[in-house]
Amino acid sequence: MDRRQFVKATAITGASASLTACGNPEEQVIRFISDELLPPGLAVTRRSVCPLCPAGCGVEVRVMEGDVEVERDGVRGVVGTGLAKKLEGQPAHPVNRGRLCARGQAAIQVTYHPDRVRQPLRRTGERGSGQFEPVSWEAAIAEVTARLEAVAAAGNPGAVRFLTRPLRSLRGVVISEFLDRLGAPPPVVHDAFGDALLRQANLESFGLGQLPTLDIAASRYVVSFGADILGTWNSPVSQSVGYGDMRQGRPGIRGKFVQVEFRMSQTGANADQWVPARPGTEGFLALGMARAILASGRRSPSDAGRAGTLIEGWADGLEAYAPDAVERETGVPADTVDQLGREFAENPPAVAVIAGAPLAHTNGLFNALAVNALNALVGSVGVAGGVRFTPVPEGFGGLDESGETVEALARSILDAPVGEEPPVQVLLLHDANPVFGAPPAWRVGDALSRVGFVVSFGPFIDETSILSDWILPDHSFLEAFADHAPEAGTVMAAASAARPAMRPLHDTRDTADVLLDVGRRLEFETPMEWETYEDVLRERFDALPPPEGFDSAWIAAQATGVWVGPEAASAGAPPEARPRAYRPPEFDGGADAFPYHFLPYVSQAFLDGSVAHLPWLQELPDVVTTAMWSSWVELNPRTAAELGVGEGDLVEIRSAHGAIQAPAVIFPGIAPDAIAMPLGQGHENFTRYASGRGTNPIRVLGPTVEPETGAWAWAATRVTVTRLEGAGDLIKFGGALREHEDLER
Amino acid sequence: MPRWGMTVDLDRCTGCEACVTACHAENNIPTVGPEEAARGRAMHWIRVERYWEGEFPDVRLKFRPVFCQQCDNAPCEPVCPTYASYHTDDGLNAQVYNRCIGTRYCANACSYNVRFFNFHNPEWDRPLDLQLNPDVSVREVGVMEKCTFCIQRIQAARIEARADDEEGAIEDGALQPACAQSCTANALVFGDLDDPESRASRLSRSPRGGKLLEELGAEPSVTYLQKGDWYESGGG
Repeated sequence: MDRRQFVKATAITGASASLTACGNPEEQVIRFISDELLPPGLAVTRRSVCPLCPAGCGVEVRVMEGDVEVERDGVRGVVGTGLAKKLEGQPAHPVNRGRLCARGQAAIQVTYHPDRVRQPLRRTGERGSGQFEPVSWEAAIAEVTARLEAVAAAGNPGAVRFLTRPLRSLRGVVISEFLDRLGAPPPVVHDAFGDALLRQANLESFGLGQLPTLDIAASRYVVSFGADILGTWNSPVSQSVGYGDMRQGRPGIRGKFVQVEFRMSQTGANADQWVPARPGTEGFLALGMARAILASGRRSPSDAGRAGTLIEGWADGLEAYAPDAVERETGVPADTVDQLGREFAENPPAVAVIAGAPLAHTNGLFNALAVNALNALVGSVGVAGGVRFTPVPEGFGGLDESGETVEALARSILDAPVGEEPPVQVLLLHDANPVFGAPPAWRVGDALSRVGFVVSFGPFIDETSILSDWILPDHSFLEAFADHAPEAGTVMAAASAARPAMRPLHDTRDTADVLLDVGRRLEFETPMEWETYEDVLRERFDALPPPEGFDSAWIAAQATGVWVGPEAASAGAPPEARPRAYRPPEFDGGADAFPYHFLPYVSQAFLDGSVAHLPWLQELPDVVTTAMWSSWVELNPRTAAELGVGEGDLVEIRSAHGAIQAPAVIFPGIAPDAIAMPLGQGHENFTRYASGRGTNPIRVLGPTVEPETGAWAWAATRVTVTRLEGAGDLIKFGGALREHEDLER
Repeated sequence: MPRWGMTVDLDRCTGCEACVTACHAENNIPTVGPEEAARGRAMHWIRVERYWEGEFPDVRLKFRPVFCQQCDNAPCEPVCPTYASYHTDDGLNAQVYNRCIGTRYCANACSYNVRFFNFHNPEWDRPLDLQLNPDVSVREVGVMEKCTFCIQRIQAARIEARADDEEGAIEDGALQPACAQSCTANALVFGDLDDPESRASRLSRSPRGGKLLEELGAEPSVTYLQKGDWYESGGG
């Protein structure tokens, strides 16, 4: 079909054009037999799982009949089918209990996005030019099969690599098995702002290498060290539901919430007490609280068990962490340290949590181990109101970023001498965007350009998939089988499952089915035992004990949306680990040349940028600044005055790695020697809504890592700030700062 | 006849804005784009306002979701020359789109700044239009729009309830506007204020309760519950 026909076809299905179609056979609207018969005007409810973050909230999909434009055998027309209209939380889902966050509400726009890849594509222009032509699925699958066959035939299957974002679905099993049969290494999982370091700390402290489940509905005292528990981190809806009940769900009991951070987050705004500690010193403060508890005699060092033994000086009562020492190191007044320690011990169940910026420092692992020890000291591990761990059903582990990093992958390619075949010859990409989301020093884009054959399965063209040679687009989550086993957010084991909520709008295929198809054609020595992805789901779910009233867990999960299992997480034996001593954080850029801490943060609307393509989220006013469609830099009013910067003025941020420009927002909740900036904007190629909009703060971040885990220390860069001429593009919904008292009665 | 109202527990509200997107999805609210948004024409029937107090490090930030307060003595109603803004029997400030001629008097009169004017015909890049809710009409250029307490859901629940029994009483909690249904911390509670047992009614009598700009006398149907205080439980 050419452009002309397309324009015609879209015009005649428009609301006002039906009359012009009469009497003109060329432009008659063809109505095909409906794909799906639903009662007109009535809604049916189906289920799915929100795909936008790893939390895995269970979704109810309101489906109604509607008309979709299609092309059948070269003829354009319309067909009646079931269309998703609205997403709600599943009331009985153990993670989100009927609720959904702002991003989850917007997830439906993924399915109806105008810039989705609608059929397989082959690159026609230079790599990265964005020039592709449509091809058939048969041609695309034949090409991928031939390329993989050639590499395998040359005895080099290790040169095939798979790069994905974290997955909590059984698609991870298909990917891993596929690579295993092929003889290729396990997939590389990319999440630059992920939690690999926290999993490592929890493994060392508690023998469980997973994220914690916060049971805060039952807590009386919650201390969060930088964790955005009510916004973006871990299982935000589950945590928000618990938070509401922690505040007002128990007659006569209102839990206290303390947030420790250097820049006030949406979560921090809700705290009863907000404690700014210098970046990278949060673990020192946690041990100051622990010392206060030990010194009071309420607890003894051995109460912390193994978690305590990982901290040097723990057995001797943490003498190095006396209040005045804590004040010197962290900037938190000595009295406050004592008060926090006392309240933490005296209000059980009390829980501490650490995530985000405090872990993204050169001493991040120590900070995490310190908070783990604090929890263990007051007996808050594995108890109601404390830190829990979700039991993950056997065979549902998912893919997380604990294996080889994108940095290592890129380095292996770049280290190959020029002119020689690099160690990666075929790269399969699945919805990961490290070209946008990794620090420039990793040179992921350069590395990918050297790979001979790059295939993307992602449903959108972004900064990474634009470098691919072929695109084999996946369904949207509403068009495919959905499944998810949460790592956190529920004290019960859970595994969600749902059949497709609607038919595919475009000529797309489930990536798992594509891999199974390619696998069959490659004729592995031991073939994969599944025909379709549905077979994988049936096999894994039916290995779970069926709930009462059902013969099969697979049937039960589809009928109810989620399989829920017994309440028990079994810790393995923790690995050998030695006690660690506090080391002050080290920064990328000296304090003399670069006077400001630079704190990028995961955005409430866009996360790390992976959902910046959804128009509802672009127009969602940021809750703290009310900015829409924008990037901005947050400056303390005093800093702004010193620099002569007003609201909306353009400033330049410069680190040792580069410079970016963005408009300033005067922000009372940040320390004068720090500036902050949300992640997510500054896309070069990510649909019409995000491309060319705002600034990507990752471009100035240094590649410093936490030395023990290799985790990227993304909060450890220092910068300069300079005022530039003129104003930046800052669009705000609300007016200037207003004092609360104006509106109080 | 019920009298619909809402309570907003500011001690639960986290400022997550799930309500804002949920409202867009339910009510076919157009996205206006960056250029129009920069002219102040973005439409959000519900918004979360923020208020700063104090200076670093003793700084506080408070959130308050604001939407049409469905006032009993609504300033927007008497100023409308075409009776497009009118009061329903169940206590809503309704807006009849096909009566509205776009004088915008109602928006001028509103004390809460919750009415939005369509400066253009709404547009959705295809196929985003396939998501539109068939139960809610889209609004044309020149028409004022605002929060309706999801009147389409109220109507549907009423029809359903009448089918079940003669009285047609809607069970408390069976009906929620999109914002309250999505609210992650359960801060928004909707219900019949004339039913003394409904959750919304009980919460609206809380000692923490108060109305926004109460002194203006508009008699809002929305009650805000202030943040609580923490006091030490004194050991355990």
